[in-house]
Amino acid sequence: MPEWRREVQSRLAGLPLDPARADEIAEELAQHLEQRYEELLGRGIPAAEAEGLLREELAAGNVLENELRRLERPAEPPPPVLGAPAEARWLRGLAGDVRYGLRAMRKHAGLTAAALTTLGLAIGANAALFSVVHSVLLRPLPFAQPARLVTFWGTAPEKGLPVVNYPQAFYVHFRARSHTMAGIAAYDGIGLTLTGAGEAERLEGANVTADFFRVLGRAPALGRDFLAEEEARGRNLVTILSDGLWRRRFGADPGIVGRAITLDNIPTTVVGIMPPGFTFPGRTQLWIPIPTDPQMLNCWCYSTIGRLAPGRTADDAAREIATLSDQFWELREGRPRRGESRAVAVPLARDMVGEVRTPLLVLLAAVGMVLLIACANIANLLLARAGARGREIAVRCCLGASPARIVRQLLVESLLLALAGGAIGLIVAIGAVRALGPVVVERVPHVQRLALDPVVVLFTLGLTVLSGVFFGLAPALQGTRIDLHRTMKDGARGTPARAGRRLNDAFVVSQFALSLMLLIGAGLLLRSLRNLLEVDPGFRPENVLVARISLPSPAYREPQIAAFQTRIVPRLAGLPGVRAVALTTTAPFSHGNNQQEFVVRGHEPAPSQPIPVASARLVTPGYFAAVGTRLLRGREFDDRDREGSPLVGIVDESLARRYWADGNAVGAQIRLGNLSSTNPWVTVVGVVASVRHGNLAKEPDHYLYAPLAQLPVGQMDIVVRTSVDPVGLAPAIRHEVVALDPALPVYDVHTLEQAVSRSLGTYQITNRLLASFALAALLLAAIGIYGVTALNVSQRVNEFGIRLALGARPGDVRALVLGRGMRLVLAGVAIGIAGAAALARLLGSILFGVKPLDPLTFGALAAALAAVALVACYLPARRATATDPLVALRYE
Amino acid sequence: MTSTDLKKGSAELLVLSLVEREPRHGYELSKLIESRSRGAVRFNVASLYPLLYRLEKRGWLQGRWVEKAGQRRRRYYRVTAEGRSVLKARRRSWSEFVAAVRRIVGPDYA
Repeated sequence: MPEWRREVQSRLAGLPLDPARADEIAEELAQHLEQRYEELLGRGIPAAEAEGLLREELAAGNVLENELRRLERPAEPPPPVLGAPAEARWLRGLAGDVRYGLRAMRKHAGLTAAALTTLGLAIGANAALFSVVHSVLLRPLPFAQPARLVTFWGTAPEKGLPVVNYPQAFYVHFRARSHTMAGIAAYDGIGLTLTGAGEAERLEGANVTADFFRVLGRAPALGRDFLAEEEARGRNLVTILSDGLWRRRFGADPGIVGRAITLDNIPTTVVGIMPPGFTFPGRTQLWIPIPTDPQMLNCWCYSTIGRLAPGRTADDAAREIATLSDQFWELREGRPRRGESRAVAVPLARDMVGEVRTPLLVLLAAVGMVLLIACANIANLLLARAGARGREIAVRCCLGASPARIVRQLLVESLLLALAGGAIGLIVAIGAVRALGPVVVERVPHVQRLALDPVVVLFTLGLTVLSGVFFGLAPALQGTRIDLHRTMKDGARGTPARAGRRLNDAFVVSQFALSLMLLIGAGLLLRSLRNLLEVDPGFRPENVLVARISLPSPAYREPQIAAFQTRIVPRLAGLPGVRAVALTTTAPFSHGNNQQEFVVRGHEPAPSQPIPVASARLVTPGYFAAVGTRLLRGREFDDRDREGSPLVGIVDESLARRYWADGNAVGAQIRLGNLSSTNPWVTVVGVVASVRHGNLAKEPDHYLYAPLAQLPVGQMDIVVRTSVDPVGLAPAIRHEVVALDPALPVYDVHTLEQAVSRSLGTYQITNRLLASFALAALLLAAIGIYGVTALNVSQRVNEFGIRLALGARPGDVRALVLGRGMRLVLAGVAIGIAGAAALARLLGSILFGVKPLDPLTFGALAAALAAVALVACYLPARRATATDPLVALRYE
Repeated sequence: MTSTDLKKGSAELLVLSLVEREPRHGYELSKLIESRSRGAVRFNVASLYPLLYRLEKRGWLQGRWVEKAGQRRRRYYRVTAEGRSVLKARRRSWSEFVAAVRRIVGPDYA
């Protein structure tokens, strides 16, 4: 007799079994084998053959070992070996599930296509928007420890000046005394004309203090940083170039460092090249040191940034700057000041992102909702199918499949669907990012380009898996809750459990709630945009071209500037298609805004009262006709208003009405500067309509106009009103300017209409995107309610048949179906209105002329949504009444 | 549905029904399955015992070493209360399944 016990023991040896247990098993199996051996011998089978048969039976595919390994608790945890049989088995099972899932997807091609399209679009939109949010809000700025950087400014809201930049004197004062900040730098954007080596070009530059790059924590990639002593007049004829300018204009020649280039006709030595991607502030192409002057108070134009000292916050810095500002005046005027100055400090990152933050977050929330709605739709489709698959699942349960096994299979199916959707989504996202990229880059200067980087791809993958679990979980869990007995007994049609139907309903309700939120959000924005477009800006933007030139000193001093101005206007006026030409220091909606304090004679403010502020513009005769601003009283400037003639000015209606109830300011005298200013008085000769500047949503500032001829300034906008398409005139204008001075670049050429619409850009894009998300949501929700109602009808065919057979009128059955659908819709609408109220509050800051809780928008869109839902429910309802009672009953 | 599921589920049903009335040991079970199915179903030693252990672990069976006079001790398996109710449910759904299959396939072939 073979040693069966030893035989079994040797098979168990490799298993992580408790020794006593292994003994027991060996004993039990050995008994069995012995008995069977006897039996085989008894049947006349030769001993050797019997032994061989039994050995084979025992060895059979290692079933014994594999099964026992799975069953028995190991004496100690087995070492984790990759590809160990248990895992291999699990993986094999998984592979089976994947194959099964793919087969199912192919089998239900219609459902798969619908789900994939929905998912692909929703995930794609999310990925694209996330890539924008990632580059704009999340990716750290290209500075060392960017979180420690703040930007700060003074504020005087009582004068209508929420933001007041500092003059050099303040900056020098702060820099010497601040403890909350380890370093402070100041800068101011400037335009510079590069000549020599090719065509004259206007460049965006920045005047910066010598420690600018050190405060930001970046150093030139080539050459050196600015030196402290270069912050002095005469010593500051050095520049650092951006990587972009260096490559574009100088062919990335490292030899340029140490050589001089000509900027505004002045030879300036290049000392360094910044690394790629560094263009702060804005899109600066080159930097030049400011000759700082501790006495200089006449240009309140410097932006200030600081690096917080360890342990200090932005609020600490703001308090300290306010105190230091008071101290500055005390030192200067000898009069104590306490708590009079106010300052604001915010993280630099927050400031740089500016106005796009709220719209971006709103859009991200919106696109997330669209995905949720899409997932709810797919979950509903799958729930419906899970209902239909009830029998298949029940059979598998009967045959011993564990609930975990079934959940796994259903989840694998939904994850496969999600992954395929995610792949489509990535493709959609690539397209969307390509379309959105230029728009974002144009509006957010620190974003150089938009791309689907690994973080975005990872986010998309995460979102995909989450979506798959989200829409797969409900059907999967429902799958395991099937009542085997009922399902097996019922007819061929599957009947989803009551719980499944409740889930269907919950999904529909939330879909409608989310859709309504989006619709109302989009509706509010749309109304704001319409209101903005109806705002009268105070000028007529159509058919006006604006172009900027700067006459560089020292070649142009006041007489040369005046001469240039008197020569260029008639030349331009003589061009065909030109109706009016004028010059101004700043055209409406152009960059920059020169604001000045002023005093009206006879209306001087008391010393304790704030000095009023107005936007100041220098203009040539014919300016108001050229931009289309109405003259309300008095006269325009004309050729009498020249150098040496009495000083005259024109005020706008808002300023005039502030001091004269009838708005008649003609004859009044106004002086720029504060009470102690020694500026000459100017006589008001006219009143014009108020104009808005930069932002249609903002009330117009007070305006003061003076003749350019009386105060020649070298930087000006040319304003040309045309009778033809203004864009076509740009080359002719450039030609006339170059004819007067070949070294003058004409830049920032745009139409007034473009300038106004650029100011609405973020608005318009937000609006368009939100509206399309809302429509997508509406469509998905309509499909959702249609699907659920149709399913409901198909499941109740018998019932309707019986009702009709018993004499119910078709109208009754229709009402039954419609009533059920519309109850869900109304629940969704109610929740959606509450949600929309919350969303509207978030939108509040970007709404214009419409209240966040505007009843018209809320009411109209809720009604529209309900109407769409009614149609979506009506179609299946009509089918319900088309049921032939006989046919329906035959199914029973 | 895979054939593993099928076999696993039905094997459990077979074992549970055979120990429903009296406790039996492994060899006896294998003989009974073979003889009652007229040789159509056979369990070999390598798959039978893991199955018994699994049912035991689930608490559907209870195995106990029993010594009888003049014999070696043997392990007998009897059904637990839980096993009994599982058996009842399985038996019901199995007959429904068979009936369902029969309705589809037709009495001649089932």
